[in-house]
Amino acid sequence: MTAAAAVAPRGIVRIRPRLRRREAMLLLIVCAVLGVGGLSLGMTTTDTVTVAGWQLLVIYGGALVAVHLAQSLAGRRTDQVLLPTVGLLGGIGLLLMIRLPQDLVAQDLGSLHLGLAQLQTVWLCLGLAVVGVLAVAVRSDAWLRMYKYTWALAGLTLLVLTFVFGIDEGGARLTLVVGPFSGQPSELLKVILVIFLAGYLAEYRPLLATERTVIGPIRLPPLPYLVPMLAMVALGMGVVIVQRDLGAALLFYIVFLVLLYIATGRTAWVGLGIALGAVASVALYLAFPHVRERVSVWLDPFADPLGAGFQIVQALHAFARGGLFGVGLGAGLPEIAGNLPIPAVHTDFPLAAIGEEMGLAAVLGILALYLVVLERGLRIAAAAADPFRALLAAGLALVVGAQALVIAAGDLRLMPLTGITLPFVSYGGSSILANSLVVGLLLAISDRGIEAPAPPRTRGPVMRALRRGRG
Amino acid sequence: MSGRDPGMGRSLTRTMLVAILAVALVGVGATWWQVVDASRLTTSPDDAANVAAARTVVRGVIRDRDGRVLAASKRDANGEPYRVYPTDAMTAVIGYASRRYGSAGIERAFDAELTGRRDPDPIQDILDHLDPSRTKKGNDLRTSLSLPLQKLAVQLLGNDAGAVVLLDPRTGEVLVDASTPTYDPNQIADPTADPAYFAALRKDPTSPLLPRATLGLYTPGSVFKIVTAVAALASGAITPKTTFPKQPRSEKSGLLVDGYRVKDGHHDFTQPKALALSEATEVSCNIFYALAGLATGGADLVRWAAAMGFGGSIPYDLPTEVSQVTSGKGSAPGGFVDRVELANAAYGQGEVLATPLQMALVAAAVANDGVIMRPRVVTAVVSPSGAVTPRPAEVWVRAFGPDVAKPIREAMTLAVEGRYGELFTSGAKVPGVLTAGKSGTAEIGGNGEPNSWFIGFAPADDPQIAIAVVVEHGGSGATRASPIAGQLMRAYFAQAAQ
Amino acid sequence: MDPFVLALWAVRLALLALVWLFLFAVARVLMRDVRRAAAEPGAELGRLVVVASPDREPPVGAAFPVDAVTTIGRDLASTVVIADAFASTEHAVITYRGRAWFIEDRGSTNGTYVNGSLVDGVVPLAVGDEIQVGRVRLRLERGRR
Repeated sequence: MTAAAAVAPRGIVRIRPRLRRREAMLLLIVCAVLGVGGLSLGMTTTDTVTVAGWQLLVIYGGALVAVHLAQSLAGRRTDQVLLPTVGLLGGIGLLLMIRLPQDLVAQDLGSLHLGLAQLQTVWLCLGLAVVGVLAVAVRSDAWLRMYKYTWALAGLTLLVLTFVFGIDEGGARLTLVVGPFSGQPSELLKVILVIFLAGYLAEYRPLLATERTVIGPIRLPPLPYLVPMLAMVALGMGVVIVQRDLGAALLFYIVFLVLLYIATGRTAWVGLGIALGAVASVALYLAFPHVRERVSVWLDPFADPLGAGFQIVQALHAFARGGLFGVGLGAGLPEIAGNLPIPAVHTDFPLAAIGEEMGLAAVLGILALYLVVLERGLRIAAAAADPFRALLAAGLALVVGAQALVIAAGDLRLMPLTGITLPFVSYGGSSILANSLVVGLLLAISDRGIEAPAPPRTRGPVMRALRRGRG
Repeated sequence: MSGRDPGMGRSLTRTMLVAILAVALVGVGATWWQVVDASRLTTSPDDAANVAAARTVVRGVIRDRDGRVLAASKRDANGEPYRVYPTDAMTAVIGYASRRYGSAGIERAFDAELTGRRDPDPIQDILDHLDPSRTKKGNDLRTSLSLPLQKLAVQLLGNDAGAVVLLDPRTGEVLVDASTPTYDPNQIADPTADPAYFAALRKDPTSPLLPRATLGLYTPGSVFKIVTAVAALASGAITPKTTFPKQPRSEKSGLLVDGYRVKDGHHDFTQPKALALSEATEVSCNIFYALAGLATGGADLVRWAAAMGFGGSIPYDLPTEVSQVTSGKGSAPGGFVDRVELANAAYGQGEVLATPLQMALVAAAVANDGVIMRPRVVTAVVSPSGAVTPRPAEVWVRAFGPDVAKPIREAMTLAVEGRYGELFTSGAKVPGVLTAGKSGTAEIGGNGEPNSWFIGFAPADDPQIAIAVVVEHGGSGATRASPIAGQLMRAYFAQAAQ
Repeated sequence: MDPFVLALWAVRLALLALVWLFLFAVARVLMRDVRRAAAEPGAELGRLVVVASPDREPPVGAAFPVDAVTTIGRDLASTVVIADAFASTEHAVITYRGRAWFIEDRGSTNGTYVNGSLVDGVVPLAVGDEIQVGRVRLRLERGRR
């Protein structure tokens, strides 16, 4: 699609900048958090009054303001809460990345050597660019709705490519490498799955409401209409399960069930889905040794605190050390012989690091921020013009919310740990870009359109004015 | 695509409600780990912060009741401190603290105090947490242990595996908490030592790393009769004068309980006489105790045993194993399978399993009129500045009354001082001190020699110490356990007299 | 205690306070949002209902909300996408000005018709009028409240 055409028909309406006061106010607080956070970290690590990583914080803050200005100048009437909310999440994540040892992740681009925080800043800025372009440029959702099968096919192709050509990392084949770039396609797939499901459910909603297939006491809609959807979900989940990406599979399933519920309003189907999910979980448990290990580690991580249970036990210790208000940014995560207690702290366990250094207050705050993202998504869904947009908005928000909940619950040993990222907080380009895509689309859907132009006084001048505009 | 129907709004609202619930649940989880259960984790020696701190902190010194050093610190070539232990007799209780292998015993249980992570002064403790840059020094520990007595206990156990617990029933102070075989803690704590030593210890079939006094579960045999006596008297099933006419008749052929024969026959000299509590205890009559146990009933036996700590953990300074009267798999009262198991349990066989510490507390309870003081090793924490925070004596439970304790004290005195009792507890008597006790010969199945037990206290009329001794495969109670107990008590009184 | 440590703790707690300040600010915005939504239910100005569509994209019966500015055409970025071979990429625009609807043909190849008559330039539109774009016919209806 072309960005220019999306804004408004040329000449009909002049783009008038709109002040986005609420967004500006909230972003001001986000910038304050960045500054105070950097100060807290700098004072802790250097014992002088300095702001740690101020260059990166300024760049990130600037990028946030740029997206805000772009939306204001484009006169879009999009949601004003989403950007600051994910901006704050990303900011807390960036503070954490500045605080962690920079050599956890490093990449050389030509003569440029980038460490963890610098790379994260690059990803966040790219992500914000995606948000900005989508929010300003996307005017219609037809390009998503009409080509849902194409999207689905593209997503699956990407997955299969990963499966065939991907590289193994930690026993799971999730990463696809193209030249100097590497990424985890399952992050993108979750967005594609939501688009497909929203399109499919919106189209066949009336049909799904009829109950033509009766199997004993179970009443189902005409089966032929269920097949493509179930096939897509099963295929997507099947591939990620074979790839050992259990977190992604669980996420897909949750999103699928909730969207099905929102589209049809049937609790019974959700019940059926949960029952089927339970059966599938047991089957997975029996079929895969790595699933059994995950579960046994979850049930008793202290049984093998130095082996399989190491990370989760260390994470729980980190949470415990934090207490109510934390030990302070930069003052926690004691290194033992130069090693972090939690090796995957920047991807799977950022919540544990935040819990230790900023305390329960910050953990609850972060959970509340995800709840805000969910609320905005569902609110946008409720106000959406048609079922497709409604389901799309709800599904996109769910992807972020459910993913955050699944990994947070895993970190806190409320359920088995699955290696998925904490959206916007965890380090990782694929995760940040995919979740930025989600936020960008949500903003685009939330647009309440261009404000009505001033009424013409008589018919004549209007026509002349419009013709002039065209010329 | 006929627009949005109102149904979706309801679904969306409900989805939001479920999401709020889910987030709240995760929030509760976070609260659990960060506030409710936090102190357990942060004080654990496995906590990364503590491990990191332990590398640089000089751990405090552990001393015995007379100030003798039991554990101290040295610095290695890099200036990092490590632990040295002047004796290996204390391994069961002091344990070790190693950079490589973690810690055990008091070194583990009091890691927070020894590394100065927890200041005994609460205000100082809060200040420490606010300002982590404050240099910390470890606190010293003062214990109630007696190095000479503990050494003697280990020496007396010799090459046998076994355990001794000797404590003051009036205060709960533990003087001896010994377990054999011992090991050399220096070879674990010294960073330059050969790692093969610790690897071999872990694989050793005699499990030297197991502190038997607190974590070893043994069939107690006849020493458990004291528990049965408590239950029978306290529940009113018998009085000190109660006799069972059935008992002398069954001595030869054995007592038939639901088709199973409880055998006895080791005290021919009392045969025609129906025995009461004291005499039955003196000659360790299985049939009397089986009948007393049956008269008490499973529920009351388990209840009164539980009053003394069976079935639960003991609030000791070290982790303890849970002692049991029955495995509780049965459906008969108290969890027994049938009357046969109950009858066997009444004289300490069946499914009864007890730790030496538990049996020492049984003796202490009888000695102290039914009041069990909380057993403890560490009597005070001494901060680097010299401030002493005592850990005072406290009552753990009032298990039973003096009216129950008195006849059992008399029976146990007879079991050591009596004409026949002497035969079963030879060597336990402390010359010049009225001694009370009970020996046990615990059949453990198979062809192995039985475990040799003794529990007791002295002086019987004003108890100052209570003791439990177990020697694995030591034969009858009189062969090994009774003389060890006797010598230890003798050494205690000799020392006290000085 | 030394003042630097005190200042550090003040900064640490200020960070947490700011995070919660943000949440309270968001909560205020959300409350206002809910109140406003309750005050003006259904902000839809009008809607276009598909009456005839030979290629079934958009399907017959589908309804599109009409905003202040609504673009119609084959371009996927249009508000109302007409996937009809006889429609132009940027076919027509409906605007709402003051209290009246207007439609303008955007120079389409096959023209835009209102109730059967060809639109030349800007033409006012009334509720109930039928618009033809390519072979697709749409009816303007009152917005749902």
